[in-house]
Amino acid sequence: SSPPSPAQNRNAILVSHRQKGNPLLKHIRNVKWVFADVVCDYLLGQSSSALYLSLRYHLLHPDYLYFRIRELQKNFKLRIVLCHVDVEDVLKPLLEVTKTALLHDCTLLCGWSLEECGRYLETIKVYENKPADIIQGQMDTDYLSRINHCLTAVRHVNKTDVVTLGTTFGSLSHIMDASMEDLARCPGIGERKVKRLHDTFHEPFKRVV
Amino acid sequence: MVQFHEQIISELIEEPPNGSGLVILSSGLSLPKLISSLLLLHSPSQGSLLLLLSPASPHLKSQILHHHSPHARISDISAELPAQQRHSLYSSGSVFFITPRILIVDLLTSKIPASAIAGLVILTAHSLSDTSTEAFIVRIFRSLNRSAYVRAFSDKPHSMVSGFAKAERIMKCLGIRKLHLWPRFHVYVSQELEEEAPEVVDIRVPTTRHMVAIQKAILEVMDACLKEMRKTNKVDVEDLTVENGLFKSFDEIVRRQLDPIWHTLGKKTKQLVSDLKTLRKLLDYLVRFDAVTYLKYLDTLRVSESHRSVWIFAESSYKIFEFAKKRVYRFVASDGSKLNAPAKTSTSKKRKGKGAADGSEHEKVGSSTNVSIVLDEVLEEAPKWKVLREVLEEIEEERQKQALSREELVESEEDGSGIVLVACKDERSCVQLEECITNGPKKVMQEEWENYLLNKVQLRDLQTRYKRKPKQPKGFGILDGVIPVAPAQNAEPSSINKQEHEALVTAASEIKNRLKNDDVGVDPQPAASSQGGGRAKRNVTNKKETPANRKSHENKDNKSNKKAASDGSSLENKGKTDEVDPAAVGGFSEAKGHGASTDKVVLQRYAKVAEATGSGIASKPIPLVHFYALESGQPILDVLMPSVIIVYHPDMTFVREIEVHKAENPSKKLKVYFLFYDDSTEVQKFEASIRRENGAFESLIRQKSMMMIPVDQDGHCLGLNSSVEEQGTSSQNSVTRKAGGRRDVEKEMQVIVDMREFMSSLPNVLHQKGMRIIPVTLEVGDYILSPLICVERKSIQDLFMSFTSGRLYHQVEMMVRYYRIPVLLIEFSQDKSFSFQSAGDIGDDVTPNNIISKLSLLVLHFPRLRIIWSRSLHATAEIFASLKANQDEPDEAKAMRVGVPSEEGIIDDDVRAENYNTSAVEFLRRLPGVTDSNYRAIMDGCKSLAELALLPVERLTELMGGQKAARTLREFLDAKYPTLS
Repeated sequence: SSPPSPAQNRNAILVSHRQKGNPLLKHIRNVKWVFADVVCDYLLGQSSSALYLSLRYHLLHPDYLYFRIRELQKNFKLRIVLCHVDVEDVLKPLLEVTKTALLHDCTLLCGWSLEECGRYLETIKVYENKPADIIQGQMDTDYLSRINHCLTAVRHVNKTDVVTLGTTFGSLSHIMDASMEDLARCPGIGERKVKRLHDTFHEPFKRVV
Repeated sequence: MVQFHEQIISELIEEPPNGSGLVILSSGLSLPKLISSLLLLHSPSQGSLLLLLSPASPHLKSQILHHHSPHARISDISAELPAQQRHSLYSSGSVFFITPRILIVDLLTSKIPASAIAGLVILTAHSLSDTSTEAFIVRIFRSLNRSAYVRAFSDKPHSMVSGFAKAERIMKCLGIRKLHLWPRFHVYVSQELEEEAPEVVDIRVPTTRHMVAIQKAILEVMDACLKEMRKTNKVDVEDLTVENGLFKSFDEIVRRQLDPIWHTLGKKTKQLVSDLKTLRKLLDYLVRFDAVTYLKYLDTLRVSESHRSVWIFAESSYKIFEFAKKRVYRFVASDGSKLNAPAKTSTSKKRKGKGAADGSEHEKVGSSTNVSIVLDEVLEEAPKWKVLREVLEEIEEERQKQALSREELVESEEDGSGIVLVACKDERSCVQLEECITNGPKKVMQEEWENYLLNKVQLRDLQTRYKRKPKQPKGFGILDGVIPVAPAQNAEPSSINKQEHEALVTAASEIKNRLKNDDVGVDPQPAASSQGGGRAKRNVTNKKETPANRKSHENKDNKSNKKAASDGSSLENKGKTDEVDPAAVGGFSEAKGHGASTDKVVLQRYAKVAEATGSGIASKPIPLVHFYALESGQPILDVLMPSVIIVYHPDMTFVREIEVHKAENPSKKLKVYFLFYDDSTEVQKFEASIRRENGAFESLIRQKSMMMIPVDQDGHCLGLNSSVEEQGTSSQNSVTRKAGGRRDVEKEMQVIVDMREFMSSLPNVLHQKGMRIIPVTLEVGDYILSPLICVERKSIQDLFMSFTSGRLYHQVEMMVRYYRIPVLLIEFSQDKSFSFQSAGDIGDDVTPNNIISKLSLLVLHFPRLRIIWSRSLHATAEIFASLKANQDEPDEAKAMRVGVPSEEGIIDDDVRAENYNTSAVEFLRRLPGVTDSNYRAIMDGCKSLAELALLPVERLTELMGGQKAARTLREFLDAKYPTLS
């Protein structure tokens, strides 16, 4: 096929020729990818790079990872070591890989299947410019999911309990102000949950006087 | 004190070299009493005695306190006490309760004069393992003080056999060489308990037709689920029987088998596991809840689970819903005219099972479009209610006969113990039974019903909200074949459903109106048009309000009420009981009124019961009754000294408690009634629980005969340390020659650990590895390995949760801000699978909710974040050791200051969780309008969440630093939970 234009390349993962024949490539389907001359295995963005390492390969060539990392020099802000966990006895090889990656400024990601490894590459490419709000705890803003979110902060309170509490007391402020006895009357909410709920609402935030 | 307790104690403390040992006794043989007797033998000259108790078992603690003699108080050593005071307490020679977390921290920071401690008593031995904090404590403690004893106790034998050689491993990690087993079938125990056994009456109560049908249906669905589970080939088939399915331990069996591969399981298998749990609950609730509450619970389940569960789509589960409904109400076609319930004849009934072919009473439905549907209340009462009432009446009759024959001479003695105790499983049943006795079952059902109707309307509405997309039913396999009949609930509301719904709504709004009238009406006798049931109730309450001139008033009432009250027949007897009961109550309360607070509560209840009995619902006199919830774990028998006990919900532990109580008071007469539902799982469960415990003991006896406990010259148990030590140093040397093992004292590795982390076992394992653990309160990170390396540890479950809550993001943000090498440690559990998900669970697209997406996003936003993937605790320890190899040791004082806001001032080394109500803080931070920047101010400005719930917007504005946020919060708090309006 004809060489892709640079504009297209910006939206594609650039794959090093070294990776030719890696079955992982089959699993990159949500993003385009093209072979290119890059120093890392996968170029995922302007300053994001990834090296692929199979643990089995590492057992045969323990120094490989170190030399690959050294090649990267200081060119990338995000340097990922994508480790395919494909051996049974992981303890020793994973320890070595972890140590090498950590001490040489690389972020280690582990995948247990080629699909999973491929998905990491895709995701990092797709999310290149995505804000972090989905991991910042902002969530659905509709009333039901919010009240679920709040009440399930109390341990062992589940969605069924939230419905029970909601329909019994009518509003969150009534739930928060409810007495032990009232809470105990809700079906499915056992003594421990009652205590936990009541403590959460009525014990002071700070225990020290 | 019972004799076998003496026996246990003497065997325990005579054991060489120092009286250490592990005692396992049957549940219900009163471990608290045993402990308190043991404590009597403690004298301050021996040194202090520390009772290790995790905060999770408050009942045990309160019971020990109850049995313990009042002049030798046992106090707590808590984190609130300043360090100096704690030190002086440790050396005072008294007995203390202490949590493992505080003790380990004090041991590590050398705040304990180890030589001043006589011994440790561990009260929940079954929850230990070699990585638990208690094991850590014992190891350090032993290294400081060889002669002190360690005594461990457990009254949960079945959890002592849940793993391979669990008892032996626990003994090794506690350095204990002797195992004492005291099952109920032990000769001493059974002899003593059976010598003066209480008189027992076993009453089998037949269940109603519908209950039998529901139970059968549930068992069918369970069976179907189990069959489905077997097909997955993931679990051992032998254990998968319906009988096993009745127990909580069934979940354990399944989980233990599935946990190592849990993350590789398909959604369906996981759902099956949780469905089985739900079904077991339904079985349990069937005999515990009244018909209306049961239906309500089912409705709630349907709303909250319908789009996930498998079981709901099975044929039989449709039956569960159908029969549960029939116990409560049915629909009847009206002929235009308003009808009252009694006007019905069975010929005019039209059963409209939702989409069901209801054989017997099925009629053509199509023709009835013009006829509106009217609700007919069935309100089946729990069969045990009636039996309970009869039993109580019988007791009273007997008693009066006795009283007559004995001519009131020796009356006083009998009176003091004339208490009838009804034991139920939970507080809820207590309250309900009490109402049943006072107000009659009809009224209770009526009230539940009214509540139900009001809620029902709200639920219906909610359900439509949940039902966003019409998902295809997800049954499969065996459960799949029946779908055409099943999902009636999810089908579009047919005209019948609509009519039914309308009927419900009408009924509900009637009730609503009536309630409104009650509120508004100043006249105690409002509009005469309201229906019978409601009227009768109100009259009763009126009477209660004027107890002073009750007697005269009553006679008048008698006449006027006769027509209105629904059960007027009973009024004749009222006068008599009224005169007798209050007097008895009065006398009683004077006699015992200055007792402990529990007594007072009891008395109040009495008074209520007696008074209400007097006021006219009772047809026959019944004795004073006290209700007791088994869940509450109070030492009720010794406080009340009942002479009759009615075991409403059979429970093995409680039965044993009764036996022990009787053995302690052999002279007292005690009669015990058991109420079982005949042919129900209740009986099965009770019997199986005894079998199970015996089985556990037999297995322990076998284990004991084969145990190998290594012992040194002095007779001390060597424990696990020796082997671990060798392992530790050898593997360490290969990686970190430079730092050396634990023997190299000068170059001992140090790790700074956050106080909160002592909930986990990692500090213990790090210590086993030979590192010095320095506990402090850290604002940033969990472990500081070096001045550069800061680690935030997340177990898998934590990881998912803290991604959702956004906590992880902020924690990483802080670490990145303050440390050169910020590390996220993802810690898998040894006995669970080492992966996030199975390949099959990875969908076709990049979805924001997937853990891969979240982790990728985290990595993209914090390119400097390092990640450690650790297979297990031990792997983590090894990684830590190797990372520290070329690093400087961390600075304790510096690590503590990191990330502490300067205006907070000095933070001392108190445990944070003890200082903050953590779940309240978490709750607060999840409320809309509350942010990282204002939540501290809110906590300063108001005491608790309950207080916050009542603050006006103006005050919130001050606290939250903005009107918008304040209004958001206020509106959220007051928002009406979705209803029909």
